[in-house]
Amino acid sequence: MTTAARPLTVNGRSCPLDGVPDSERLLDTLRWRFGLKGTKEGCRSGDCGACTVLVDGVSTLSCLTLTHEVEGSALTTIEGMADDPEGRTVQAAFEQAGALQCGYCTPGFVVALAGLLKERGRAAPTDELLADLAGNLCRCTGYLSIARAVALLPKEGA
Amino acid sequence: MSDFSLVSPASVDAAIAELRAGAPGEVAVLAGGTDLLFALDGGKSVPRRVISLRRLPWRTVDWNGPVLTVGSTLPLRSLEEDPEVARRYPGLFEATRAVGSVQLRHRATLGGNLGRAAPASDLIPVLLALDAEVDLLGPAGARTMPVDRFIRGSNRTALGPGELIRSVRFPEPRPSAYLWQRVRPANDISQIAVAAAYSPSTSRYQLAVGGIPPRALRLSEAEERLGESTPTNAQIHAASEWAARRLEIATDRRASEEYRRHLVATLIERAVRRVVASRKEVG
Repeated sequence: MTTAARPLTVNGRSCPLDGVPDSERLLDTLRWRFGLKGTKEGCRSGDCGACTVLVDGVSTLSCLTLTHEVEGSALTTIEGMADDPEGRTVQAAFEQAGALQCGYCTPGFVVALAGLLKERGRAAPTDELLADLAGNLCRCTGYLSIARAVALLPKEGA
Repeated sequence: MSDFSLVSPASVDAAIAELRAGAPGEVAVLAGGTDLLFALDGGKSVPRRVISLRRLPWRTVDWNGPVLTVGSTLPLRSLEEDPEVARRYPGLFEATRAVGSVQLRHRATLGGNLGRAAPASDLIPVLLALDAEVDLLGPAGARTMPVDRFIRGSNRTALGPGELIRSVRFPEPRPSAYLWQRVRPANDISQIAVAAAYSPSTSRYQLAVGGIPPRALRLSEAEERLGESTPTNAQIHAASEWAARRLEIATDRRASEEYRRHLVATLIERAVRRVVASRKEVG
């Protein structure tokens, strides 16, 4: 980059991008540079959703995003979900439904759902949330408990 | 993965100049990046320099009466969330929803999909059925051409040196549908996909098929068999049978030739019936 990249704000903290190579992916920057290992690498090809983070509130695959492409943005990762209103709602539902087995896909599911709730004005019909969650894979195939958690989320008009 | 330098030109002229300055094969254009970064990791693409279009003012949806113009760098998710797009161009809405996942569509773009010209693109068939046109900008200025002429083959387009896709234009709202078959609903590639549309100005149906290499195709001969206005069951059957028998279809790791022939007939039949039914609803 010819001009200095604007820092990212990650979970409310300013994170400069000095020294981040142009070709580095957001997933690697978060995990290996900022030490935020809650964001998981699953397939690294956009097929599994495990690496989902929020970029300015919008769910994004960090494995298919160059870090410098989102310079200056506000990021929320799984580590920031407890301080995020929709993140807290989703986490409570996952806890109540026991919606995890090995847990590797869980950060991606939680962040993706928090993003969907933000997009939909904090509430959405369960079937629509499930349809829009199709890009997240659980390799334990523990989908039933995840679906039960989704059913606990606020629905339209609630 | 290869190392490259990334530039994000702040103007269209600067982007075109950057693109011209690079030797062919050494420069790649990044719109949403969802396909480019996938290709980079597989070593399929090894550019020295990547030109990002993120600063260009092309994340737009413009209406000129019923004519829809979509800026090439608009995220697909924004397109699918536009209620007017869903109402006037339902096939485009359905095809957009078929791409990747919500997370992927937050970055993936129409221009990127078109420029990549993948044989299994979920968007190109519906662009063909809707007679979409592509607006290009390059060193010699602007030009416009039908998507059918723009796509030259698998991963091959009519883009000239230094040229960028600026927007895609849809000239006429049409009752339309997009149907596909694949192993997984999200983040997968269609074994066969069919787009169907009815043109109010010509009273004719338009069909296109995707998922068969090297490129998505308009099915003019099948369209002929549908006739005008409201096709009979026999006409719908004749159109789908033509496609199942006459298309050049091969077996690959996604599906056998036999299954694809079965699919293409079934999906054409369903897509046409959907369009006929939606015409009745609209009145």
